[in-house]
Amino acid sequence: MSAARKLIPLLFLLGASTGVSQEMTGREIMERVEDFQLATSDSAFNRMQLSTCRFGISDNRITCAERPRVKALESVSKNYGDEGKDTKGITIVLEPAAERGIGMLSYSYDDAERDNETWLYLSALGRIKRIASGNSDDDSEPASVFGSEFSTEDTDTGKLEEYEITLLEETTEAGRAVWKIEMIPNEERARKSRYSRTVSYIDQERWVPLKVEMYDQYGTEIKRLLASRVEEINDVWMARSLTMMNLVSNRLSNMAILEIHLGVDVEDEFLTTRTLTDVAFREAELQELRSQVD
Amino acid sequence: MGMLLLALFCASNLVHSQDSATVLGDDVTFDADFGFGDDLFAEPGTTDETDSSTSGFVARWLDHFTVRLSQQVSGQINNHGVDLGSFGSFPRQSELETNRFGINLRYQNPFAPGWLLQGSAQYRVYWNEDYEYRANGDSIETEGRVNELFIQRSFATQSFKFGRQTVVWGETVGNSVLDVINHVEFRDFSIIDIEDARLNQWMLVWDYFGSDNSSRLSTFLNLYPEFNPAPVRGSPLFFDPGYNLPDYDRNEKVLLEAGTQYQLSFEGSDISFMAAYLFENQLRYEPPLPGMQDANPDINDFLLLGFSANRAIGRLLLNFDLAFSHNVLADSFNFPGTTSLAAPVNLRKDQIGTSFGFEYGIDNEQNISLGIQAQTLLDANEGLAPGQMLANDGVFGSWLVRYSNNLSNGDLVLSSTLQGDLDANSLLALVGVDYTMDDNWSVSAQLMGIAGSSDSPLIVFDEDVRLSATLSYSF
Repeated sequence: MSAARKLIPLLFLLGASTGVSQEMTGREIMERVEDFQLATSDSAFNRMQLSTCRFGISDNRITCAERPRVKALESVSKNYGDEGKDTKGITIVLEPAAERGIGMLSYSYDDAERDNETWLYLSALGRIKRIASGNSDDDSEPASVFGSEFSTEDTDTGKLEEYEITLLEETTEAGRAVWKIEMIPNEERARKSRYSRTVSYIDQERWVPLKVEMYDQYGTEIKRLLASRVEEINDVWMARSLTMMNLVSNRLSNMAILEIHLGVDVEDEFLTTRTLTDVAFREAELQELRSQVD
Repeated sequence: MGMLLLALFCASNLVHSQDSATVLGDDVTFDADFGFGDDLFAEPGTTDETDSSTSGFVARWLDHFTVRLSQQVSGQINNHGVDLGSFGSFPRQSELETNRFGINLRYQNPFAPGWLLQGSAQYRVYWNEDYEYRANGDSIETEGRVNELFIQRSFATQSFKFGRQTVVWGETVGNSVLDVINHVEFRDFSIIDIEDARLNQWMLVWDYFGSDNSSRLSTFLNLYPEFNPAPVRGSPLFFDPGYNLPDYDRNEKVLLEAGTQYQLSFEGSDISFMAAYLFENQLRYEPPLPGMQDANPDINDFLLLGFSANRAIGRLLLNFDLAFSHNVLADSFNFPGTTSLAAPVNLRKDQIGTSFGFEYGIDNEQNISLGIQAQTLLDANEGLAPGQMLANDGVFGSWLVRYSNNLSNGDLVLSSTLQGDLDANSLLALVGVDYTMDDNWSVSAQLMGIAGSSDSPLIVFDEDVRLSATLSYSF
């Protein structure tokens, strides 16, 4: 799992104010969305808060029915490779107290022949630990992202060639003009996916998915993603609040991007194992990143 | 027992999910400002960054503390007898062994660019029926200890750390022949993993990183080598030899340890070469002179050369360690307070050892690992008198299997550990449950059984079954 890589593309969907041809197919729309995601996950530095709780519904408003579990994360990532499809990222847990200081470094490769690499640092280990994770993009069941209702499948929009994509209609969602796009996985993808069908509502002006409905093999909607606080930051439209609702367990996770910076100059030496153990080095580099944006 | 049942009950409720999905309307909404009002990301100490007063300064520094409070209860629950053969037998009654409250503090403050102050400490209160309570004449006993405490300066390609810290070598997690730098304390059966048993020492550590941080030369200087403490009187691991086991008297001698490790990282693999001058962590006790009550502890220095490597292949991670030790004591025991009466004294030999194993990610929630450690003395019989034998003859070592399963998005962790010696003379089996109730509270329970044959020091724990539970609160 490459948490940093998985989290950021979903959030950093580039807005485009250019007009869109009425003739675009569903696949063309999703390919453009994916291109924007890839472009805006490069050299990114952000702080996010993952909140998970059991939810209830009252007057069409979804609210937490209990005190939420909160996880605060800080992450830095950068794209590599000829096409910029490889990603290196580091994520540090800031809260809760019991997990404070846990660090994870991940190298994610687009080439299916190369295994992703992950390292973990726990103070109890006394050293960095390489984790055998395989290539989670291809041969693994989706993994929960930091214990939340988001899974690696939910946050990774790649591998469009493994889906049948259909533009169903143009409609409105939350007062915005959207494309309603259906994605059905092919046989190979279906074996690894929990969803037999997803329906996405893509903002026609900002290219941000405002809602995604996920259905199981019986056609029952089992998860729904809602995006809000869509804002333009550094000429980029992005959803700074994403809420994933698990309709089977009645639990939701909200991902709030509290601080986000794009196009920062990330030193290659920062995305190495040294950053996991050398806290003084890490904090000095993070201060340098913050100074770039201040 | 009640806490274990509570934990299992909560676990069973958690893993059960409703059969049907909630049907949402098309226009349901969620609070767009959820999570944005929290001050979770307030810079530590920035309750008021502009506050230059003493109280503001103190507040900023205090923000970097993490505190964990815990209450632990454990006991041996199986009534049985222990048969020591010609030494007779004795009954083992079920009894409470630990009943203690703990405070663990951790502090980490990058107080200036390139600087870090880090430390940890623990404080224990031993309540009624804890073995420490009984050993203290049936009165409440307390104990405090500073674990980590170091300052770090990092700049360019270098890093210096000075203070109490650990240095861990070896890839075979939990069972490496190279994990011998820091001394350890397995005080009772609440600690069976070396990760929890390591003790910090006063060291200066210098790291030099290669240009792209893919290589590292790490050198340590141990300014005050320490040794495995003798078992605490009253602990289940304490055996009364009939005399005292004092600390080693340095008699103003300056003892130092030093070592260096060169590590290289490649895609999918890491390798390390290491060399060190060390003192064996376990003191060797000679029985006291006639009329004296204190045994005579002695130390032994040796040279260690090592190599370690790992290789990740898909879900599989292979580990390998190799260690050559020059001038180790041949009759050293891991059980303090015991000497091999049949072994010659002061016989130093070379020893070669290896540890190897694998870790396998069964899926995203389940992980299993196996580590085997094997060592042998070179020229074992050299220097022996006719009929004499070494305590460690031939190939000796241990094996360790660990399994874990994360359920409910990691809130519930089921784990198990099996460990034993290569001669199949002993076995320790443990199952554990860890449940995180919320961001602050967690509860854990463990059930452990031990089997030991007459050829193993663990014979005295044969058929013991221990149950423990811990409730923790972190903030």
